[in-house]
Amino acid sequence: MINRLIEQTETPARAGVFTLVITGAPYSSQAPQTALHFASAAVAAGKKIDRVFLYGDGVHLASSLAAPPSDETDLARSWSEFLLANQIPAVACIASALRRGLVNEAESKRYQLPAANLREPFEIAGLGEWVDSVASDSRILYFHRGS
Amino acid sequence: MSTLIIIDQPPYGSWEGREALDMAFSLAAFDQPVTLMFCGAGVNWLRKGQNAGKVGQKSVERNLAAAPIFGVEALLACTEACNRYGLTQTDLLDGVTVTAVGPELTSRYDHVTFAG
Repeated sequence: MINRLIEQTETPARAGVFTLVITGAPYSSQAPQTALHFASAAVAAGKKIDRVFLYGDGVHLASSLAAPPSDETDLARSWSEFLLANQIPAVACIASALRRGLVNEAESKRYQLPAANLREPFEIAGLGEWVDSVASDSRILYFHRGS
Repeated sequence: MSTLIIIDQPPYGSWEGREALDMAFSLAAFDQPVTLMFCGAGVNWLRKGQNAGKVGQKSVERNLAAAPIFGVEALLACTEACNRYGLTQTDLLDGVTVTAVGPELTSRYDHVTFAG
C-alpha cells in the first residue's frame, strides 16, 4: 500500500465521477471541512459528485440544530448550501443517524420522538445507497476522523 | 466489484468497527463480493471467548460467526498484528485465515476501504 502508488488507469473507476463518504463528525474532526474543500475543487474543475453519504459520526453534519459561534465556519450550513447549489444528493445512513439522534419527520413520528432535526437537502436512507455507489463505476473517497 | 474492508480499530472502544461490519453485511446482502481484513488492534475482534457484557456491549463474536452465513467471502487476520498480540490460530475464531497485508492482497480487490 505504501510502497506502490496505484495508477488511476489500474482502477475500474470512471475518471471524474466521485462519491464522497464522510465518517468524521464536524467539530470533532477535520473530515467534513476537508471533504467540502475537495468537493468544491472537484466541481470547479468540471468533475461530478454523484452522491455524498454520511456514515457513523459523519451524520452529525446533517443536523439542523448545530449553532456554532458566528465567527466560526458553520459546517452543516456550508455543506447544505453547496449541495443545493450543485444539486448533489446527500444521504445520512439511517442506522448511524437513529443511534445518534438525527431524525427526519417520518422517523421522529415512527419512534415517537419529540423533534426532528434533519437539515435540507439531506435525506435518510440505508446502506444500500452506499452499496449502489460501490457497485457503480464512480470513485469513492472516504473522509475519516483520522487518529 | 469486489471489496476489501479493513478493520484496524479494536472492538468495543468505538462503534467504527461495528459500523464497518454493517457495511460488509450490506454488500453481501446485495450480492456484492466482500472480504473483511483485521489488522493492527483490529485483530482483537477475532479472539475466542469474548465477554463484552461488563462494558455494556454485545460480543462481536456472534456477529463475526454470522459473517459466512450472510455471504462475507473471507475473514482475514494480519500475520504481523497476530504476532504482536500473541494470537495463534487456536486463539482465533473458526474460519479465520492469517495472511500478510500489503499490495499483493489489496490489489486483488476493486475497492479497498478502512473502518475509520
